[in-house]
Amino acid sequence: MKDHSSLHREKTPVFTKCGLAALFLIGVLLLSAGLGGRQIMEADGFSSENAYRVIYALSGHVNAVYRSHLKPDTDALEENDRAGVFSAVRTLAVSSFESQCENAGKDAENAILLSPGSEDETALKLLYAAYLVSGPKINSSARKAIASANSPEFRRRLLRCAADDTLPIPSEAESTVGDLVGEEKKAALMQIYFVSSGSAGGNSAEIAGEIKKGVRDREQQLHAFRMAALGEVSFFRQIIAGHSKTVVLLGIILMFDAVLLAFLMLSEKTWRFDVKWIFILLIVDFLLYFQMLPVVYMVFRSFFPEGSFSLGVFQRLYTDPMNLEALKNTLIASFATMIFGTAIAFPLAFLVGRTNLYGRKFFRSLFVITYMVPPYVGAMAWLRLMNPNVGTVNLWLRTLFGLGDSPGPLNVYTLPGMIWVLTTFYYPYAFITISRAMEKMDPSLEEAGRVSGASPLKTLFTVTLPMMMPSLIGGALLVFISAASCYGIPSIVGIPGNVNTVTTRIVEYNGQSQVKMNDATALAVFLMAVALIVLFISDVVLARKQYITVSGKSVRPSIVDLRRWRIPLTVMVSLFAVVMVVIPFATILLTSLKGDIGKSVLDSGNFTLNNWISIYTRNETISCLRNSLLFAACTATAGLVIACVMSYLMQRTRIRGRTIPNFLITLGSGTPSVVIALGLIMTMRGSFGLDIYNTAWIMIIAYLIKYQMMGMRTVVSAMSQIHVSLEECSQVSGAGWLTTMRRVTGPLIFPSIAAGWFLIFIPSFYELSMTALLYSSSTKTIGFQLYEYWTNTSQSMSCAMAFGILLIVVVLNFILGRLTKGEFSI
Amino acid sequence: MASVKISHITKSFGDNPVLKEFTDTFRDGEFVTLLGPSGCGKTTMLRIIAGFEKPTSGELYLDDRLVSGGKTFIPPEKRAIGMVFQSYAVWPHMNVFDNVAYPLAIRHTAKSEIRNSVDRVLDIVHLKQYAERFPNQLSGGQQQRVALARALVAAPGLLLLDEPLSNLDAKLRESMRFEIKEIQKKTGITVVYVTHDQTEAMAMSDRIFLINRGVVQQSGPPEDIYNRPANQFVADFLGKVDFFKGIAEDGRIVIPSMEGQVLPYKGSLRGNVDVAIRPENILFQQDGEIRGTLEAHYYLGDVDDCRVKVGSETVRVIADGYAHASLDSRKEVRMHVRDMMVFKDDGTLDEILMIRT
Repeated sequence: MKDHSSLHREKTPVFTKCGLAALFLIGVLLLSAGLGGRQIMEADGFSSENAYRVIYALSGHVNAVYRSHLKPDTDALEENDRAGVFSAVRTLAVSSFESQCENAGKDAENAILLSPGSEDETALKLLYAAYLVSGPKINSSARKAIASANSPEFRRRLLRCAADDTLPIPSEAESTVGDLVGEEKKAALMQIYFVSSGSAGGNSAEIAGEIKKGVRDREQQLHAFRMAALGEVSFFRQIIAGHSKTVVLLGIILMFDAVLLAFLMLSEKTWRFDVKWIFILLIVDFLLYFQMLPVVYMVFRSFFPEGSFSLGVFQRLYTDPMNLEALKNTLIASFATMIFGTAIAFPLAFLVGRTNLYGRKFFRSLFVITYMVPPYVGAMAWLRLMNPNVGTVNLWLRTLFGLGDSPGPLNVYTLPGMIWVLTTFYYPYAFITISRAMEKMDPSLEEAGRVSGASPLKTLFTVTLPMMMPSLIGGALLVFISAASCYGIPSIVGIPGNVNTVTTRIVEYNGQSQVKMNDATALAVFLMAVALIVLFISDVVLARKQYITVSGKSVRPSIVDLRRWRIPLTVMVSLFAVVMVVIPFATILLTSLKGDIGKSVLDSGNFTLNNWISIYTRNETISCLRNSLLFAACTATAGLVIACVMSYLMQRTRIRGRTIPNFLITLGSGTPSVVIALGLIMTMRGSFGLDIYNTAWIMIIAYLIKYQMMGMRTVVSAMSQIHVSLEECSQVSGAGWLTTMRRVTGPLIFPSIAAGWFLIFIPSFYELSMTALLYSSSTKTIGFQLYEYWTNTSQSMSCAMAFGILLIVVVLNFILGRLTKGEFSI
Repeated sequence: MASVKISHITKSFGDNPVLKEFTDTFRDGEFVTLLGPSGCGKTTMLRIIAGFEKPTSGELYLDDRLVSGGKTFIPPEKRAIGMVFQSYAVWPHMNVFDNVAYPLAIRHTAKSEIRNSVDRVLDIVHLKQYAERFPNQLSGGQQQRVALARALVAAPGLLLLDEPLSNLDAKLRESMRFEIKEIQKKTGITVVYVTHDQTEAMAMSDRIFLINRGVVQQSGPPEDIYNRPANQFVADFLGKVDFFKGIAEDGRIVIPSMEGQVLPYKGSLRGNVDVAIRPENILFQQDGEIRGTLEAHYYLGDVDDCRVKVGSETVRVIADGYAHASLDSRKEVRMHVRDMMVFKDDGTLDEILMIRT
C-alpha cells in the first residue's frame, strides 16, 4: 500500500478506500464463515470444536494404517479369500457400530452401500475406527505374543481365518479367540489383526486415548470416528468449523481494525495509509484480545451470570457475610494504609530531600529499596516478629514488661496487624512520588515566600504544601490501590487469622462452584471499579492540576537547616529505618539460618546452613527458579519491544492514534493483578479461540499486561530527552535510518532500555498475586513455591528462599546501576 | 530608603571560593548592577544580601543594621526586602491578586489596605485587569510583572533583581528595562540588579560592579568603566575591543605585528604593553598614521563593519554607514586612532582572549 501511495499519489484515496473496504469485507467474511462454522458444528451434532481436531487426527491415522497395512495385506490375498474377508469385514463393521449405538450402525450401512467404488476400503477403515473406539479386548500377554509374531504372513493368515471358519487359527491367537464361534470369533480375529497392524503402524491405543479425551460424549465420539473413517470432513470444513470461534474473533478484529483505520484517516483528513498504523493496530489488537476482552467479559458475566441480566451477583456482595467482610476489610485496610503511609512518607520525603539531615542519600536509597522487595517477604518477616505466641517482638515485650507467657501483646494475625505490614510495605510508593515532586520544585518559589516575609514554616504551609498537593494525593491514591490489590500480604498475614480481603477471596473462590466463581467475579469487578476511579483521579484530574514548577535551570532544591534538630531528627529517622528495613530483613536472614526455629540462632548448635542447602538442591526449587527467570525474561523482552515501538511512535511521529496503545497500556497497569488473572482464566480456556490455560503463555501475558508500562515509560521518557536534531544531524551526515539508530539513538537510550528491561523483569520475577491464580504444576514460579513452602512446609526453608530472592533482586539492581552508570538503580 | 553596607564579604562552597573580599556601600536610592560572566559570584552576592546564603566571613549591614556576620544572621523574611527571581517564581496555585497580596497577608495587613496596595502596584506594572488570572494564563512578560509587583507591594527599601529579564524576548526586554528604571525613579527604592548583559547594565545603572571569579574588577558609573577600564578583562567585557601587543617607548608605541607601525602615546608605561582599541575609535582619514589594506566590509545600515589588514593583524573598524559608497572602490586605506587603552603586559591577556572565544 505504501508503494501505491508513493507511485500514484493522486489515486491514493481510491486505493486506500478499496483497501479499507477489502479489510472490512474480509472481516465480515471471516465473521460469517465463523458463524457458518458454528452452524455446521451444530448440524454435525458436536458441542466442541475439539471434535474436528479429533477427526482430523484420526482420519490421518486411519488412512496411514490403511495404506501401510490393511491395503497391502488384503491385496496380497487370493481373489476368493479377499471376497470372503470383505464380506466378513462389512458385516462386522456394521454390527460393531450397531452395538455401540443405534443410528451409527444405520449410517455405516448406508455409507458402505452409498459408496460402491470404494466400499471394501471404507468397510475396512470403518471397522478399524470401531476397533479404536471400543478398544482391544485382548489381554496384555496375548498382545505381546501377537506383537512378537507380527509379520505380513501372520496378518494374512488372520484375515483368511476371519473369512473361512474352517481354517485353523494361529497359536498366538488361541488364548484370545478361545471357544468363540461365528461372528464373535471373526470379530476377535479382526481385533488381533488390527492390534498387530496398529502396533506396527503407530501406537493406536495412545491415539485412541487422545481422541477420547478430546470428545467426551459417547455418541459424538462414535460420530467423529465414523466421519473420520469415511473421510467426510474436508480440510476446509475442519478449519472453518474446527476453529469457528477463532475465525469469528479474527473477523471482528479485522472489522474493528478497518473501522479504526478509517476513523484515524478521517481525523487525519487524508486518505493516505501510513505503515506505522500497522504497528499501532498490532499492539492495540493484542491488548484488546488479551487485556480488554477478559476484563470486559468478566464485567459482562457479572451482570449476566446465567445469560440474562441480573444484579444478583452484586447483591451477594453485601448479602453474603463472607463477601461483605472481605469488602470491609479491604477498604479499611487500604484506607488506613493510605493514611499512615502518606503520613510517614511526607515528612520523610521532606527530611531526606530538603533538609541537611545526616546521611540523606543513604536513607533515601534505603527507603526506596523496599519498593523493589516482594511484599510477601515483608509479610513473612513481620509474621516472625509479631506472631502472638513466638514472635520475637512479643517475646521482648513480655520480658520487658513482665507479662508472663500469655500470647501477645501484639498479634499480627489481625486487621491492625495487616495494616501495619501493608504500611511498612507501601509507604515507599508515596515516598517516591512525593520526594520526586519535592526535589524537582523550583527553590525560588519558596525563596519568594521567604523574601515576602514568611517564616520557613509559614512558607512550608502556604507555598510548598499547596503546590505539593497533587503529588501528595497522587502518592496517597497509589498506596491505596496498591494495598487494595495486594495479595501477598493478606494471604500470609490475613488468612491464618481469618482476616480475608477481596484478593484472598478471589483466589480462594477460583475454580470452585459457579456461585463462588460469580462471587469472585463480583469482587474483581468491584476492585477494578475502585482501581479505575483511582486511575481516573490520578491520571486525569490530578495531571491537569499538576503545576509545572520545574525551572529552566538545573534545580538544586534549597536545603533547610535543621540546626538543633539535626541530630535528634537523624536519630529518629535512623530508628525508623532500623524498624522498617533492617529488622525485617535481618529476621528473614536469621530465621533461614536456624535449625530449631524456636531458639535463637546464637544458641549452640542452632546455627545451620542446612535450610539453604536443602532448599536450593531440590529439583522443584530449581525448576521453579528456572521458570521464574524464563517467564520474567520473556515478559521483559516482549515488553521492551513494545516499549521501543511505542517510544518511537510517541516521540518521533505525529501519527494519529499513537496514544491509543499508550492508553490501553496505562489502563492495564492500573488494573489490579487478580482482576487481570481472573479475567484471563475466564476467557483463555478455549472459549474465545485460544486455549492457553495452564501454560506459560498465560502467565507471561498476564505479567506483560501488568508491568509493561514501567518499561514503556522509561524508554519513552528517555526518547523524549534525545532531541530530534541529534538524529537529524546524523542523517545529514549521511547515515541511514538504521545506522542512525545504531550509532546515535541506540547508544543514547541504551541505559533506559536496560532499565526498562529490568523494571519489567524484577516484578515479573517474584510475582505472586497473578501466579497464584494462573500457575499449573509445570509452570510454578519461585514466588509461588515460596508461598507454598511458607504455608505448608518449613518457615526456615522459605526464609532461605526469600533471602535468596532478595539477593537476586539486589544483584539485579546492582547490575542495572552499573549498566546505566547509576542513572536508574535504586 | 535603604543602604547596603558590605564589609569584606567572602563566600566559599567547600574549598571553592566564589566571592572574595567584597567591600562597598550601596547608597540609598542607588541603582547598582552586579555584572559579570556566569559563575562569577554575582548571584551569590545577591543571595547573601537577601539572606539565602550566609557569608563565610565579613559583615553585611542593611541601613546600618548588622544582618549577616559573626554570630548574627537575620533570615530573609525579617530583612524587609523585595526580590524578583530569574524564573519569576510566581506561585502557580494562586491567582495574580493573591500572589501580589502575599507579602501583605503574611504581615496580617487589613483586607482593605491589602486591596488598595495591590491595586496600586498592579497599576504600576500595568496588570490591573489581570488580577483574577492564574499564572498559567499569563505570558512570560506578564508573569515577570507579577513578580515585580509582588516584590514592590510591601514598599521595601531594597529591591533585589536576579537576572529578571533573561527569560524574555529582546523587544520585551528593552521595554521592561525602561519600566524598571521608571519604577525605581518613581519610588526612590535602592536596587541591586544582577545581570550578565552589559547593555542592560549600561542602560540602567548608577554604578556597575564588574565581577570576575569572585573578585570585583572595577566599580563605577557606566562611562568610567567603559572608557577607563581598570584592566584588560574590563576592557574586553564591555563593548567591542581589539588587543595588540606593543612596546611602549617615549611618546610612542611600536606594534611589531603591524609591520612595526607606531602609535603616538603620552602615557607613562614603558616596555611590553597590551594596546586595546575599540573599533569605533578608529577613523578612516587621508592622513591617518596607520596604513592598511581593506579586506572586507559588511554594510549594516547604520554602520559599516570593516576588517583592515595591517601587517599580520586584522583590525576591526566601525565606520559611519554613510561612508559606505566611498569605501567600496578603495583597497589601500589610512586610519587614525582617536583613542586607545594601554595596559601593562602582565600575561593575563591570552587567558582572557581564550575565554572570549
